[in-house]
Amino acid sequence: MKKSSRRFFGSIVGATVGLPFLSLVLWSFAERWFYPALWPQAWGLRAWRYITSTAGFQVMTAIGHSVVVAAVTAAIAVVIAVPAGRALGQYDFKGKDLVSVLLTLPIIVPPLCVAMGLHLWFIRLGLAETYAGVIGVHLTFCLPYAIFVLWGVFANYNPDFEDQARSLGASRAVVMARVMLPMILPGISVAALFAFLLSWSQYLSTLIIGGGRVTTLPVLLFALMGSGDRPVAAAVSLVFVAPAFIALLFSARHLGNRSLAGVR
Amino acid sequence: MGELDLKNLRIDYGARMIIRDFNLAVRNGEMMSLLGPSGAGKTTILKAIAGLLAPAAGDILIDGQSVRDVPPEKRDAVMVFQKPLLFPFMNVAQNIGFGLRMQGQPGREARRHIGAILALTQLEGLEHRKVHELSGGQQQRVALARALVLKPSVLLLDEPLSNLDANLRQRMRELIQTIQSETRMTMLFVTHDQSEALMISHRVALLLEGRLRQVGAPRELFYQPADPEVARFFGGRNFFQGHVRDGKLHSDLGVFPVGPQNGNGHVRTATIRPEDIRIAPRATGQSRGLRGRVVKTRFEGSSTRVVVACGANEVMVLTPEDAFRPGQEVEITVPPEKIRLFPGD
Ligand SMILES: Nc1ncnc2c1ncn2[C@@H]1O[C@H](COP(=O)(O)OP(=O)(O)OP(=O)(O)O)[C@@H](O)[C@H]1O
Ligand SMILES: [Mg+2]
Repeated sequence: MKKSSRRFFGSIVGATVGLPFLSLVLWSFAERWFYPALWPQAWGLRAWRYITSTAGFQVMTAIGHSVVVAAVTAAIAVVIAVPAGRALGQYDFKGKDLVSVLLTLPIIVPPLCVAMGLHLWFIRLGLAETYAGVIGVHLTFCLPYAIFVLWGVFANYNPDFEDQARSLGASRAVVMARVMLPMILPGISVAALFAFLLSWSQYLSTLIIGGGRVTTLPVLLFALMGSGDRPVAAAVSLVFVAPAFIALLFSARHLGNRSLAGVR
Repeated sequence: MGELDLKNLRIDYGARMIIRDFNLAVRNGEMMSLLGPSGAGKTTILKAIAGLLAPAAGDILIDGQSVRDVPPEKRDAVMVFQKPLLFPFMNVAQNIGFGLRMQGQPGREARRHIGAILALTQLEGLEHRKVHELSGGQQQRVALARALVLKPSVLLLDEPLSNLDANLRQRMRELIQTIQSETRMTMLFVTHDQSEALMISHRVALLLEGRLRQVGAPRELFYQPADPEVARFFGGRNFFQGHVRDGKLHSDLGVFPVGPQNGNGHVRTATIRPEDIRIAPRATGQSRGLRGRVVKTRFEGSSTRVVVACGANEVMVLTPEDAFRPGQEVEITVPPEKIRLFPGD
């Protein structure tokens, strides 16, 4: 692509992604903004002051809960997805198609149904209104995504690298840690990122299983939006999308440059 | 030391038997080629020796000790794969030092060994390069260095030259030969290229369809093939049958003395190499050659392949002269001393 046309497409993409953000930023700094004004009539830091001081504790706790839930979900998803993806990508076995269908099920069935169905079970198992329960329901769709990512990675993975390492004197365990892991690291990062962001953005399933006891950031966000204070909701929304934004920058910086050539 | 003994090896992939009744002894310090067409099972045998595949039956001995229960990382046989398989997340020196680190060699010692091997494989100055910044030939040399630095009793090389162009191939072959004669390391060199096997090795083992067909010095396999299939693999094309009577083979191509030890009255198969047959345009007057007509020719540069119809037989002749055209009447001469008579069954 020519440089000028690349810049053109770049600005279109930038505008579609950036404009909604711009309105969020404007709202978060608005004191007064009534229709049909194009611009807030009065500016101020009230919303930001509110979420950092008055509701500061609430917001910080919610961020903490969200980070813990998303990180644990992502970690469990990756730990299970690596062996599962390896089995699916490297070996042929009976029922592989069935596994693939079962994996897509939680992705195509609306999370609401999954959460409602699981809720009854979780109550019986004592998992309702617990972190473990929320992580469990998040895993129902984060795990399939992670497995699909690593399935793809392992489908292009050349196991001869492992044989070569063993012949050079590496034991089975060392081969896993020193050869396989570094080779699939880009794939692991992508899978973890996916799982983290999916979990981070969950509202409905968290609310149903957590029963309002597990207040992650989206749960708090909806509560604040319900109060009708738009500048505050805008400010919390910005806090909410921050990790996704950071993740986007990170993945563009690190995964884009990382050559996957050696995996083949 | 580096003696390798394969005894009655059988290797299966699932229900498919790939290798059967395989017996081979490689002597200490020997360069042995394992030669065979694609799919013959060469890689399979190397993997079994390296411990990456468990044989279904038979035994593998290194220096007289059975290694059937020894895992690959503990076996004193290191395999170099057909592709370089350099670890992409390590630089050249780290790749070469991988095995030494697995052995727990201290850094200073390892660096000394790596330095020596870099010099031996002509890779000096590239030690800090990333793997993807190397040419194909350099990658192959790093793969070789990575195994050589471990000084294994037996080095298993799986077609290390097959991904290189003709020029590089020759240089790399000479390099391996030099290293072998300097280090006297026992090597089992897999190739599908008959001339490569003949050039590089002390002895050649020919594998066809999972079976070992003949083992011997290069000249032995070339000049005294054990059976027509071995001869065919080494470029033999002219096979004919004849009756043995009174120490002579009576065939369509003539009567040839074959020595008294060959049984009377038997039908036997014989061969003559295309380049051993002399061909000339049909001369007027008396001659002792066989008369024939050129069917087709194929120009190959330094030589030309000519197919000649002699009665019911078609004979292939390889001649340095590009002087024959289809339809031409010619005369061919078969020198009796170049006839190879196969042992009867
Ligand atoms: N993992 C496998 N599963 C089943 N069959 C296999 C497997 N690997 C190889 N084979 C079969 O075993 C036979 C021998 O294969 P092998 O790779 O040893 O041949 P090769 O002599 O090394 O050939 P090439 O010169 O093409 O490398 C082939 O028929 C091949 O199809
Ligand atoms: Mg092979």
